[in-house]
Amino acid sequence: MSEFQDLESQDSVRMPWNVLPGTKAEAANCLIPISAIYTPLKPLPSTTPLLPYSPLRCRNCRSVINPFSIVDFSSINKIWICSFCLNRNHFPPHYQSISETSLPAELFPQYTTIEYETSAPNEKVQSGSGNVFLLVVDTCVIEEELGFLKSALLQVLGMVAENCLVGLITFGTYVHVHELGFGQISKVHVFKGTKEVTKDQLLEQMGFFAKRPRPSTGVIAGVRDGLSQESISRFLLPASDCEFVLNSILEELQKDPWPVPSDQRAARCTGTALSLAAHLLGVCVPGSGARIMAFLGGPSTEGSGAIVSKNLSEPLRSHKDLDKDSAPQYHKSVKFYEGLSKQLVHQGHVIDVFACALDQVGVAELKVAVEKTGGLVVLAESFGHSVFKESLKRVFLCDDHDLMLSSNGIFEINCSKDIKIQGIIGPCASLEKKGPLSSETVIGQGNTTAWKLCGLDKTTSLCLIFDIIKKESPDVIAQAANNQFYFQFLTYYQHGSGQMRLRATTISRRWVAGPGSKEDIISGFDQEAAAVVMARQVSFKMETEAEFDPIRWLDKSLIHICSRFGEYQKDSPSSFSLSPRLSIFPQFVFHLRRSQFVQVCNYCLCFPFAASVFEKELCHQQRRREVFNNSPDETAYFRMILNRENVANSVVMIQPSLISYSFHSGPEPALLDVTSIVADKILLLDSYFTIVVFHGSTIAQWRKAGYHEQPEHQAFAHLLQAPGDDADAIISERFPVPRLVICDQHGSQARFLLAKLNPSTTYNSDAPAAPGGDILFTDDVSFEVFLDHLQRLAVQ
Amino acid sequence: MATPGGPRQGNFPPNYNSNALANNMENLQINQSNQQQSGNFGGSAYRPPNATPFGQQPPRFSGSRPGPPPPGVFSGGQAPPSGPAQTTFSPSLVSARSTEPPAVTQPAFFTSRPPPPGASPSSIGGPATSAPSGFGPLPGPFPSSPLTSRPAFPPHMVTSGPASNGSPSFTPVPSQDGPRLPPAISSMPRPLVGPPQPPTMLSSGPSSQTLQMRPSFGARPSGASSAIGQPAPPFSAPPQSMIPPSGSLPFSAPQGMLQSSGSPYGMQTWPPQPQQVAPPPLVSGHMQQPQMFGMPPGPPPLPNQSMALNQTAQSKINPNQIPRLTSSSAVILHETRQGNQANPPPPATSDYIVKDTGNCSPRYMRCTINQIPCTVDLLSTSAMQLALLVQPLALPHPSEEAIQVVDFGENGPVRCSRCKGYINPFMKFIDQGKRFICNFCGFTDETPRDYHCNLGPDGRRRDADERPELCRGTVDFVASKEYMVRDPMPAVFFFLIDVSMNAIQTGATAAACSAINQVIADLPEGPRTMVGIATFDSTIHFYNLKRALQQPLMLIVPDVQDVYTPLHSDVVVPLSECRQHLEILLESLPTMFQNNRTADSAFGAAIKAAFLAMKSTGGKLLVFQSVLPSIGIGSLSTREAEGRTNVSAGEKQAHKLLQPADKSLKTMAIEFAEYQVSVDLFITTQTYVDITSLSVFPRTTGGQVYYYYPFSALSDPAKLYNDLRWNVTRPQGFEAVMRVRCSQGIQVQEYSGNFCKRIPTDVDLPAIDCDKAIMVTLKHDDKLQEGSECAFQSALLYTSIYGQRRIRVSTLSLPRTSILSNLFRSADMDAQFSCILKQAANEIPSAPLTQVRDQATNVCVNILYSYRKFCSTVSSAGQLILPEALKLLPLYILALLKSSGLRSDGRIDDKSFWINYVSPLPTPLVIPLVYPRMIAIHDLDEKESDDSIIPTPIPLSSENITVEGVYLLENGEECLIYAGDSVQPNVIQKLFGISAVAEISNQFVMQQQDNPLSKKVNAIINEIRGQRCSYLRLRLCRKGDPSGMAFFSYMVEDKIGSMPSYVEYLIHIHRQIQNKMP
Repeated sequence: MSEFQDLESQDSVRMPWNVLPGTKAEAANCLIPISAIYTPLKPLPSTTPLLPYSPLRCRNCRSVINPFSIVDFSSINKIWICSFCLNRNHFPPHYQSISETSLPAELFPQYTTIEYETSAPNEKVQSGSGNVFLLVVDTCVIEEELGFLKSALLQVLGMVAENCLVGLITFGTYVHVHELGFGQISKVHVFKGTKEVTKDQLLEQMGFFAKRPRPSTGVIAGVRDGLSQESISRFLLPASDCEFVLNSILEELQKDPWPVPSDQRAARCTGTALSLAAHLLGVCVPGSGARIMAFLGGPSTEGSGAIVSKNLSEPLRSHKDLDKDSAPQYHKSVKFYEGLSKQLVHQGHVIDVFACALDQVGVAELKVAVEKTGGLVVLAESFGHSVFKESLKRVFLCDDHDLMLSSNGIFEINCSKDIKIQGIIGPCASLEKKGPLSSETVIGQGNTTAWKLCGLDKTTSLCLIFDIIKKESPDVIAQAANNQFYFQFLTYYQHGSGQMRLRATTISRRWVAGPGSKEDIISGFDQEAAAVVMARQVSFKMETEAEFDPIRWLDKSLIHICSRFGEYQKDSPSSFSLSPRLSIFPQFVFHLRRSQFVQVCNYCLCFPFAASVFEKELCHQQRRREVFNNSPDETAYFRMILNRENVANSVVMIQPSLISYSFHSGPEPALLDVTSIVADKILLLDSYFTIVVFHGSTIAQWRKAGYHEQPEHQAFAHLLQAPGDDADAIISERFPVPRLVICDQHGSQARFLLAKLNPSTTYNSDAPAAPGGDILFTDDVSFEVFLDHLQRLAVQ
Repeated sequence: MATPGGPRQGNFPPNYNSNALANNMENLQINQSNQQQSGNFGGSAYRPPNATPFGQQPPRFSGSRPGPPPPGVFSGGQAPPSGPAQTTFSPSLVSARSTEPPAVTQPAFFTSRPPPPGASPSSIGGPATSAPSGFGPLPGPFPSSPLTSRPAFPPHMVTSGPASNGSPSFTPVPSQDGPRLPPAISSMPRPLVGPPQPPTMLSSGPSSQTLQMRPSFGARPSGASSAIGQPAPPFSAPPQSMIPPSGSLPFSAPQGMLQSSGSPYGMQTWPPQPQQVAPPPLVSGHMQQPQMFGMPPGPPPLPNQSMALNQTAQSKINPNQIPRLTSSSAVILHETRQGNQANPPPPATSDYIVKDTGNCSPRYMRCTINQIPCTVDLLSTSAMQLALLVQPLALPHPSEEAIQVVDFGENGPVRCSRCKGYINPFMKFIDQGKRFICNFCGFTDETPRDYHCNLGPDGRRRDADERPELCRGTVDFVASKEYMVRDPMPAVFFFLIDVSMNAIQTGATAAACSAINQVIADLPEGPRTMVGIATFDSTIHFYNLKRALQQPLMLIVPDVQDVYTPLHSDVVVPLSECRQHLEILLESLPTMFQNNRTADSAFGAAIKAAFLAMKSTGGKLLVFQSVLPSIGIGSLSTREAEGRTNVSAGEKQAHKLLQPADKSLKTMAIEFAEYQVSVDLFITTQTYVDITSLSVFPRTTGGQVYYYYPFSALSDPAKLYNDLRWNVTRPQGFEAVMRVRCSQGIQVQEYSGNFCKRIPTDVDLPAIDCDKAIMVTLKHDDKLQEGSECAFQSALLYTSIYGQRRIRVSTLSLPRTSILSNLFRSADMDAQFSCILKQAANEIPSAPLTQVRDQATNVCVNILYSYRKFCSTVSSAGQLILPEALKLLPLYILALLKSSGLRSDGRIDDKSFWINYVSPLPTPLVIPLVYPRMIAIHDLDEKESDDSIIPTPIPLSSENITVEGVYLLENGEECLIYAGDSVQPNVIQKLFGISAVAEISNQFVMQQQDNPLSKKVNAIINEIRGQRCSYLRLRLCRKGDPSGMAFFSYMVEDKIGSMPSYVEYLIHIHRQIQNKMP
């Protein structure tokens, strides 16, 4: 598997199939689509140069010259042959000096991924403006929460780079747009929460044309179209200029003053506020990177985008309501945010959501806007929670763990002619640039060969899904000569420094077809990438396909893959074996079935196929899984993170990692199984969103007794210390910052660990738990049972 | 003279002589004139006395308004924020009025008249004014009349007190008793004597003048009449003779003249009346009228007639002898009832002190006729209006007894169970006091157990004199819970300031902020006083004043189509919690918007938003607006300009500009009223702002329009401040409801004034203050029985500024009569004219101007015709006969025709403002509005004698203006100072601190100089301000520029443009009457 990681470190690409099934039929037979998880801004090795010029492009297909291009040094006018369309291109004059021994960096074989610094496509970025942060702050929260939020914001504002512009909108019943540039008095524009304002009205009402006549025609946008810098700088100011004003406004920020009857929710017009924020940015800084950072403390109840009525007797929508289509506001709200996301994509702006409330705030509805604009999302229980505070800090941080926030990206794909692109599952929006490469089959953001990435950072990972369209032909095997597929990923973006850059990644993969290709295909199978692609696929399907049964789909796919690639004699389960390339794939699927991505509702965790076929004894009863019973907001949150993370992180989300610490040995990976719980061990569980440090009962007792504070027990102190340090290391690299839970065996918080473990020992197991071990009170099937059934079904 | 309340000054007499008339009259042939002349003189002489009576009137009001004197009176000094100058004046003290008008400038007459008893006939200041434009057009009315060429005039009334008639004033104030009995009048006597016949009136005139009227004109009615009267001989002598009985002065001598009534003026009609006698007494009138109506018994009741103009004409009318206002400075003591009879009130403009002896003071309620006709036919024959002018919170005279507050506890005041009339001195207790009969509906009610009291031998309750509600015409009842829909509202003041480019650049915003800043110090302390502030241009800016922080927060409402208030609370906050923030804010507002380039003004939206902020409490919304609202809800177009370019549409449509442009404003205003929000508009502008449309708010919500045009940052801030200060500090009530109840047979026909009417019987007044009057027209629904009295009761339920809920109940009980002459005798000139004025103002927006003018003249003609036909003894057809009580009617009507509201030229906004000004105008300010008071101020030094501060007014005729003189003219709203071309430099120096008139800047600000003359002038101006409860904008007028034109347009007795002079107008009226005679 390490070879895949090597490939990833060079090109930031992971593909489930690194040897491609070469025909449409074979590809279909592989079930997991031909796809790639690509991380456009993954930091390049420090040796990779940044090329200070624009790339050469094929005159025919516009792809960028790359190491796979064949260069003909012999001809007088040196020529390169595009690897995608085989067009012959002349080098421009300044390339004339190249030779086999003197190549430009982009032709070095190791620089299949390289960056160019280009002049901006449209214009020089406004001098001094790195990024724009428009804070949108919910004031319908209790005083305590508001206090937390204020202090978090105040702390963070000190960290904003000087060249960044900052703006502030607060909202509750009404939307307050703060005019930071007015020196004499705090000035606020107040908009009604229930009324949607158009961009034109905003231009009119906020006095953008007070001092000059309004242009009679044309799009109104920024300085170019006639707005004075002066009128813009009323609202968006360099952080250094408005620090004082902003601080005093935040310090005096009051809870929304409108009275809330006891049987009602606060009137909160999140949608209107965000829409105004979008208009404001659209008016002031269209086309250059800007982020709307929304800090939400509760559900939107007023205006467009409301997710629930004010009446408390109406509960917030649950998954069940969504399934039954009994959430009256849901679709309206989603539609509103779709419209908003379109506008933002058009303007090139991002929405980040920081949702901090015990209640749901509407992340499920906002998901579309956040995802399409590539925004960040953080979900926490409170503005005082470290998950929120640390994550927020991370956004503004400038050090090694910097998110490398970039903006305004455009992503394009070129690939060989036998391949088409179905679409991308991930944080991007289609630019609807349909071309010969776009497939008829569409998944995610499809029907295009170019996508907008309004916001992207170093971990943003796209899942590209391809379609092999090559028909089977008798002589495919003979075509060994040209059995390479090429892919080129081009990403233009505005770097955090304000520069425009282009990153080009070109990769090549071998394809095989026909009988005997199975071994080749297996050898190129990347189980982790496959699991991640399946996870993205399944959650995408759950959201978009009505009546979709994810468990059944996963099980069927797994069984099919096992049948296709396993070694077995028909109808003999015991003869079943899997190649090492596939060996842990079933485990991933097992955990994926149990994960928060799939377990959104009260699904029965029995084997559906078993239940429906014959293994009825496994389905004892209807079971309710409390732990996994997530709200739509949480589910949306998990999926958004899944959809933007790279393979390694995604795998952790699917199958948490478990490390055990003991006196007897150093830290070692442990089975994600209840049997790993041992009284004298410490376990460190990393489930991505939560990190659990779990003390076995003996360790817990010692800790309680305070042995680690005694000099003679330094070893114990070190043991206690170790998992904490490792946890901190994980936390420092991750965004959103995970929740850290430190718990003891048998403690209430231990459920965070137990929920993730394979229930190999349950209260109704025959074998008693090992001494010092634990049992789970669950009726879920264990991995062993799962595997058992899988084998039986695969060989049928 | 006109100034004060009208009647004052004795000047008239003098006037008579005026040549002008004479000249004009020439055409007329008035027979008598000559003869009379002699008489006249005499008359004139006599008149003085009469005059005096009038004179009294002065300003009392002002006096009354105590503290309040608008302007910064006291504070004034400092107050006038900006305007330093004015300051000086500002302080008007109330007190003043009492003094009498000093010497009369007038001619000798006075002198001669020794008598001028009590009241010194002060001067009447009526200078002659020419009516401004105006006349020309209306030929109509008068056509027939020979009047000179200019026939028609819009009927304005000029009030000057002409003739003797009666201004009620008893000069003799002193004699309170007097009134009752004729005898009392004793005081009068003197006068009487003197003036033998000339019945005060005009008659005298003739004599002197030789007017010879040309036939054509025929008689000049009124004024002239007297003078002119019948052939000389007849007149003087005769008339009076007749009169004698009535006591007209002139006669008085003869007869005895009883009452002072005699004094021409005012005669208190009543005095005489006491009893049936009424007729006689009442009228000072000379002639008898006998004819028709049953005359009273014995004595020939003559009403007073004033003058007869002879048409005959040979004689000329002596302008000095036509009826004019006389003023007297003496204070009149007035008992509302004497001998269980209603006592006719003194003129509204006179200075009087009321003793409430059962009827309410005339300040609170005044009826156009002090006897109620028993039948509708009688009333329509008289052609007079029957109406009440109610000013429920009027300022009392400082020397008057305070209104008593009566608390009936939880049960609330005793009321008739059928008509809900409040207990009053005229409810008759019977059956040992166990039951009482309602004087309105006649129902017999059970006396509540705990209110029971035995009756005395006289049939009155034994406790009647101890219980204010049983012995006083006006009481305040404490309202019980039953009268409250909610807790009494706090006093909320919301200031809304225009900060659009124009307002900023003209300094209007700065002026408004500064005025508010000073005024907040005058708002009542305590938690019940709440304030809020907002500014607006094309958006609306609220301010959160209640913040811990260092500065207020500005909240902008950008949506001016669909407005809202941006905060739930903290927009309107208790003054005590935000005083500091408010001050800081007001200081910084002008600079904050210094560079504002937004020219648009979202008035409608702003006012709506402010309303929303105040909706939960109600309160006063004070709006400072500088430009035409151009954006957002209720935006308006420059209709005036459109109208001008559209002239082809014709004059016919001109009045449409005086109708609000937009119905939505009216709808909004009604909503405001529903939530007890009252709007006051301070318009500080230099352009057209469509006051017609904007004023819908004040008119509907009990507010007021203040108009500063053209706004000057130099001279207007002081007035703005003083107006604002008076506005918030004067006695006032909130969330008020008013209803007037009448005895059976009479019912309310219509209410008119600034209020909102949602149900027919009540008027809703989100706010009412001491300066607001409501006119209530009455109609008969049945025939009244003679003998008993007819009662009217106004009940105003309101919340005081301190949060008490009160019911102010004023009851007026008047005798009934079925004799026409009694009606004329008991007519109340001021109330009648108020009624005519308000009706004309109401008509203007809906009818062509010429029609409104004709109507006014017709009213005058019809009344005089009725009198002539039914009440006067037959006399020469050439005589114009005026009832004593209404002898000033033609003058006032003429002045009305020349007022800015009825002139055909002039800016739409000015007209509209005039209409608005008139709508709630209290009676004492009505006369000065059309017939301003003019005094000479250049020679103050020379006349030391008098102790009255304000010198005798001069008639409003340009003949009285000399080139060496400096004159001050005031109409209750503005004050013009006119300096002639040849004023002595030292006078200029003393008054203005500069050496020549020409050097005075246009935006002149009067400063007090350190010399006696200047101090005196300042004292006078302050005195006037006190009287008028208005700061009076000062304007300097010079001959030859527009300001001079403006000044001369007030000379209503002059011929102005096509509008006739006073004499011409009299002739015209006379002609009309003659044409009607069978």
